[in-house]
Amino acid sequence: MFRLLSFVLLFVMSVSVAQAKEKLQMGLSVDVVPVGSDFAGQDIVVFGAIESADQAELYRGEYDVLIEVIGDLQEAIVRKKDRISGIWVNAAAREYRDVPSFYSLHSRNPIEDVVDPSVLSSLGIGIKYLKAKPVDRGNIEEFLTQGEFSSALRRKRIENLLFSERADSVDQISPSLFRAAVSLPPNVPIGFHTVKAHLFKDGKKLDEVTQTFEVRKVGFEEWIYNLAHEQSLLYGILCVLLAIFTGWFANVVFRKN
Amino acid sequence: MSIYLPIAELSVNIWILFGMGAAVGFLSGMFGVGGGFLMTPLLIFYNIPPAVAVATEANQIVASSFSGALAHLRKGTVDIKLGLLLLVGGIAGSTLGVYIFSELREIGQLDLIISLLYVVFLGAIGTLMTIESLRAIRKSKQNGGSVARRPGHSGFIHKLPLKVKFRKSKLVLSVIPVIALGMLVGILAAIMGVGGGFIMVPAMIYLLRVPTNVVIGTSLFQIIFVTAFTTIIQSTTNQTVDVVLAFILMVGGVIGAQFGAAAGHKLKGEQLRALLGLLVLGVCIRLGYDLVVTPDDLFSVIAAGEEGGH
Repeated sequence: MFRLLSFVLLFVMSVSVAQAKEKLQMGLSVDVVPVGSDFAGQDIVVFGAIESADQAELYRGEYDVLIEVIGDLQEAIVRKKDRISGIWVNAAAREYRDVPSFYSLHSRNPIEDVVDPSVLSSLGIGIKYLKAKPVDRGNIEEFLTQGEFSSALRRKRIENLLFSERADSVDQISPSLFRAAVSLPPNVPIGFHTVKAHLFKDGKKLDEVTQTFEVRKVGFEEWIYNLAHEQSLLYGILCVLLAIFTGWFANVVFRKN
Repeated sequence: MSIYLPIAELSVNIWILFGMGAAVGFLSGMFGVGGGFLMTPLLIFYNIPPAVAVATEANQIVASSFSGALAHLRKGTVDIKLGLLLLVGGIAGSTLGVYIFSELREIGQLDLIISLLYVVFLGAIGTLMTIESLRAIRKSKQNGGSVARRPGHSGFIHKLPLKVKFRKSKLVLSVIPVIALGMLVGILAAIMGVGGGFIMVPAMIYLLRVPTNVVIGTSLFQIIFVTAFTTIIQSTTNQTVDVVLAFILMVGGVIGAQFGAAAGHKLKGEQLRALLGLLVLGVCIRLGYDLVVTPDDLFSVIAAGEEGGH
């Protein structure tokens, strides 16, 4: 009897604890995005579930999931041209550290409708609130909207499809299940990318989960790249031999005509 | 059909590249030049990073110059001794050129210097070539036949010491201007991603007074080695030779060159030179325009790894 009671108690407790602590679960359709000779971008699917949520609130759609895909943090140099004796020359430059090589944000609704800008800003979610460290400012993080150089960096990345935001790419399959199609452009940087899903309710963040996937050259492309970097002398010689063979072959073929 | 370039790290349309190779090959076959001065700017217009364009173009020129030089070797129109001496200068120049190339890349002025060199050299050579050939055309119209150029012995070049006899070219020349010319062209070849034929050929004709029939064969002969050497040095120093890109261009180039050569036979020498001169001037003006006109975007971004080595 006492045992049964303790079970019931435990159950009630766990439910009430779960009520207060909604959790996110997430999976990716791939671990590796292979970059082969025919690579022209790829779509990956992020799917997941909101667990231990209040059913009524789930059905009313009060939860929101934001999904970020973040590439490696890299250095970047921004240069500005200036006219020097009639010619446009790269003049001033600023160097940044910890710039994401890739960033895309996915949501079901425009993010600023879901979460207060001040919260987004403090969490660094969204292109507007991305930060980097200017090397000449002692590596203190600044937003990529401060100053013409960091704005230019942000703008260039957007133009090159490396920074993007989509407010219609997260689908709610059922009240607790979500699915997002993340399209990686053909120029998606090689390396590890982190997928970060945030769970929000009433503008407050409740949970976060992360997963990584790798964009990797495979097969012939991987072999060529590794050869060029690890055995560069051999690679150079092979390039020359290929050229000599092609030149010779052309000469032989067209001489007979 | 798109193909991913492993070194340039971007996806490109294979047929556009093949077409570019064939078009430049056609012109180079027609005019008897390597075509690097056309191809490298074209690749850069097509968004291939300049560092990759320049290094890869050197690799492609190995193929086109080898193919061309074989034909000249068979006809016996190569002065091997002269070619080897030019090569001595060329190897030294190329080494220096790749070093300058890396330094310029580091300080972010590579694109500018490439453009400036193109504008200066293409402008000068295009102008000289156009004027000279128009004069020749006018003369041949007056005389009713083509003019034979009798190279005279003029200038300090023929007064320099260390003279060597070049039997095939029927010349006695100092080795100093030969090595110096080889070196200058080697430097330019490495920085500009060209074989340097467009500088080498006129310099050999007008400065060294080498007979025209051996000029192109000899120039091609030494270009094979200088560009092969440049390819290897670029591979080891900058890792910017994209063999996939090079191969597509090579195949397009050698095919286009065959048709170009056939078309070239239908035109007179001075007409060809006039057309080439105008083409060279056209590229020069196009590149010069980009330097002076206010760019759409003053800013450029370079990610780590694209610049300054690893």
